[in-house]
Amino acid sequence: MEIGPIFRAMWRNRIGVALIALQIAFTMTVVVNAIYIINERSRLMARPSGLDEANLFYLRSVGFQEGFDEESTIVEDRILLQATPGIIDMTVMNAIPLSGSGSSTGVRVNPDANGPSTYTALYRVDEHAIDTMGLELIAGENFTTAEVRQLGRLDSGSTAPIIITEALAEALFTGGAAEALGNTLYWQVDIPMQIIGVVKQLQAPWPTFASIENSMLIPNNILDGQSLYLVRTEPGQVNTMMLRVEELLADSNPARIIMNVKSLEETRADSYRIDSSMARILLVVIVILVFITSMGVVGLAVFGINRRRRQIGTRRALGATQGQIIRYFLVENLIISGIGVTLGAVLTLGFNIFLVQTFNMPRIEWYYTPLGMLALVLVGLLAVLGPSRGAARIPPAIATRTV
Amino acid sequence: MLKMKDVGKVYRTELVETRALTSFSLDVDEGEFVTVTGPSGCGKTTFLNIAGLLETYSSGTYLLDGQDVSELGDRQRARLRNRKIGFIFQSFNLMPDLNLFDNVDVPLRYRGMRASERRQRVDQMLDSVGLLSRKKHLPSQLSGGQQQRVAIARALVGEPRFLLADEPTGNLDSHTAAGVMELLEQVNESGTTIIMVTHDDSLAQRARRNVKILDGRIQSIDQLADSRIPATPVSDRALSANA
Amino acid sequence: MLFYYLRLGALSYRRNPVLSTLMVMAVAIGVGSYMVVFTLNYVMGGDPIPQKSSQLYHVQLDSGDPDTESDPPEQLTYLDSMALIDADLPFPRTATSKFFAIVEPDGETRPFSVMGRGSYADFFTMFNVPFLFGSGWDRSADRELQQVVVLSRELNERLFGGVDSVGESVLLDGYNFQVIGVVDDWTPIPKFYDVNNGPFDPSEEVYIPWPQIINLDMQRSGNTNCWKPLDGSGIQAFLNSECIWLQFWVELADRNDRQLYQDYLDNYVREQKQLGRFQRPLNNHLYDVNEWLLLREVLPNETRILSALAAMLLGVCLLNTIGLLLSKFLGKAGEIGVRQALGANKASLFIQHVVEAGFIGLLGGLLGLGVAALGLQGIRILLGDLMVTDWIQLDTTVVTVTIGLAILSTIVAGLYPIWRACRINPSTHLKTQ
Repeated sequence: MEIGPIFRAMWRNRIGVALIALQIAFTMTVVVNAIYIINERSRLMARPSGLDEANLFYLRSVGFQEGFDEESTIVEDRILLQATPGIIDMTVMNAIPLSGSGSSTGVRVNPDANGPSTYTALYRVDEHAIDTMGLELIAGENFTTAEVRQLGRLDSGSTAPIIITEALAEALFTGGAAEALGNTLYWQVDIPMQIIGVVKQLQAPWPTFASIENSMLIPNNILDGQSLYLVRTEPGQVNTMMLRVEELLADSNPARIIMNVKSLEETRADSYRIDSSMARILLVVIVILVFITSMGVVGLAVFGINRRRRQIGTRRALGATQGQIIRYFLVENLIISGIGVTLGAVLTLGFNIFLVQTFNMPRIEWYYTPLGMLALVLVGLLAVLGPSRGAARIPPAIATRTV
Repeated sequence: MLKMKDVGKVYRTELVETRALTSFSLDVDEGEFVTVTGPSGCGKTTFLNIAGLLETYSSGTYLLDGQDVSELGDRQRARLRNRKIGFIFQSFNLMPDLNLFDNVDVPLRYRGMRASERRQRVDQMLDSVGLLSRKKHLPSQLSGGQQQRVAIARALVGEPRFLLADEPTGNLDSHTAAGVMELLEQVNESGTTIIMVTHDDSLAQRARRNVKILDGRIQSIDQLADSRIPATPVSDRALSANA
Repeated sequence: MLFYYLRLGALSYRRNPVLSTLMVMAVAIGVGSYMVVFTLNYVMGGDPIPQKSSQLYHVQLDSGDPDTESDPPEQLTYLDSMALIDADLPFPRTATSKFFAIVEPDGETRPFSVMGRGSYADFFTMFNVPFLFGSGWDRSADRELQQVVVLSRELNERLFGGVDSVGESVLLDGYNFQVIGVVDDWTPIPKFYDVNNGPFDPSEEVYIPWPQIINLDMQRSGNTNCWKPLDGSGIQAFLNSECIWLQFWVELADRNDRQLYQDYLDNYVREQKQLGRFQRPLNNHLYDVNEWLLLREVLPNETRILSALAAMLLGVCLLNTIGLLLSKFLGKAGEIGVRQALGANKASLFIQHVVEAGFIGLLGGLLGLGVAALGLQGIRILLGDLMVTDWIQLDTTVVTVTIGLAILSTIVAGLYPIWRACRINPSTHLKTQ
């Protein structure tokens, strides 16, 4: 196949060629970066929380009448729930992982106010937390019932045994979990907290938190008139149990209301709503762009073919096979796409640098660009296939016909 | 009316220079009917395009009504084409998506005429070529001869004093061609100057003068008959529609 | 002549319906998608209170931890808020924070929880809060700890069926509050007076004099940050702490007032330094509404990324349109030649094709409105109840900009094809077609 004549024919229509090449370049820039953003978001969304999310829900019990006693209500509620078939366990917590709301604090290995402190999420729990959440205790032991304390509202911190995540242990001690066990952390400058256990994983409540894997469990509950229950159900029973438990608790004690009943799966969906929305929007953008650009390629090809009907007929009359006509247009398309994706590779990296610098995103992996180039070239070839087959069907007789 | 002296036209591309017209000199008087003949590619159409201010020339002088047209800008040339010159083409060049009325209306639009006056003139013109009843039709719904009559109506609607026709019968059968020819002769009799390019010798002989062109030069000018008729007002014309 | 050209444009559309429809679709998709992002940017990044945004100032005092380097805290401590409230200065001001409470309606209805806002009397006049019934309270209510409440329109519907409830009483956490006013629909986007707790959250359902939050020990809600351990326990230790949890706003009419207030703040902090607080260098700021929204980067990163992508999408669609217009106009070479022969000058041909391109743009814009509406609806569905989404819709500004942008960008895209078309030598296309 002679490249020279194809090039010369393209040169005569260079503006049209440039328009398509630019479209391909911009499309590639958007598509590759959009896929990269989608993958980036999916990676964030796929991080496990460490919890048995499918079988968990939570609710808030808020007292509002004189005579509401939070401490005894918790005890009664626990008895009630433990007697309910379908419920495995429950824990009273101050914050729910993934919910976007909770507390964090800084802890130190030494009681030195000027020493570096490591930020960690702070979960106030009881001895049922590990079982309820479905955490994996990799070292040490769980809290005992005796260790769990009830504090008044705004009680400042006091010493307590703690359980931390493996990630936090590794952040604090070179020896990781093994060294952490039995060691002491200092909270609020000089309050000592002895590490009695390490769990494999428990995410902080905020999906965007920089140290999302750093969490610390403290065995106490703050009596402030409201309590947050995390409830674990038998597999597949979350939805029925949410309704049943809400009713049970609301009826059992009219001095409080039950609110914010929500499953953990729903909570995860809400927390990552922006990310999943972004991914879907970008998917739509990709589809639209590829469609528009394909239309552009088809349009240019049809225009070029119509202009050259006679010429194509003449070629056929002179002995060109249908395959050769098709090949002519495919090669022409390949050249245009080649120019487009080369320019596109430069733009893609440029736009990625903009994303990296402006939005603190990690840099794109190397293989995205060549894959994108390949994909765009394939799209172009597919788009031009139809029109070029049409061109191949132009009868040779057209050459002798006067128009 | 038209005065060309030593007009030359050279087309240049990157590689070659083509001399389309060389030392072309011709005077056409008011009211004349001049035919131009010559083989394919001899420069007939180039001459017509220059005469009709569609193209510029490379050398020589061209006076239209005593005015040197080489100094005119696009706007003034367009104005002259609109007011003084009418064109008829071999392939009619009607606009396919405009109906007959709108096609004939085009030159008047560019003159900025009031709507009521335009309507009156277009209707009158279509009536005079016998196609008023079909004014809402599209050109594709007409026969070739009918299309050419619409094209003539369009050329004449602005009352030009100068009609340029490029092979006006080239796409028509001989019977229809004769009708169109008669129509043109009537137009000429009513005072409009006509220059017609043709390759049909029998048609060329019907004019007062016949210019023969070969390779961009005038080969001969044949004086055929002295049939000059005094000019009468255009509005008095009665154009028959027997084509 | 414009109508003539418009008619020619319409006829030309009919001649190449497929090509023309492709163009209209390209313009519609490009402009429509761009307008979706434009709407997000223009509302989320817009001025929520244009009449007063340059007179309302958010107060920022640097009471942060002297041992770390960080921006000044976004909120104020209780101590500082009270000092600023009590200052003997003539400027309207309010401290404000959120709480939640249980409402016990009369009759059968079960108690339910509401989000509330504690504020000072000036809050309502400062922020131009519209009232359906009654009004806000006056400053004496703040001082005298009156149990008065302002309801949102929705809560008033729920509790009183939407009638004028001024003078009625509402049980909040077991305390009787007297209704003094009902706010009409009021959802500033962004919720500038409290960007710390969700800049696109809905407005609160009840408003009470701020001191009642402490007085009646309501459930405080919202962002609380402490860099220093509390000195003891209980509410008093919390109030005396360096914990920041209040927003503070002041209304200053002009530069003079602003300077006056800045001096006052600096003096106040200098005094506090004497008492051992504010150990960081003097760094107090007054930000007006728009400065504050900009500083807090209220506009999410996502919309900024989408803006860039939408601009490129529009670019691709316009490149496409240029290509299609080129095919279309060059295909009209014959007609252009005839028109020139009949007396059209280049200027009138240029205008004719600008109008034709503009006509395509207009159709693209109209269809683009549909695309934009569809896109905005899609985003509303995607976001669900994550934030207030009522504003995600076409308004007159967006409609106007859509049509305008579509026409303008199609004409710009058409300039090169039009130039090429008008440059056609008329004679070459008249001979045979």
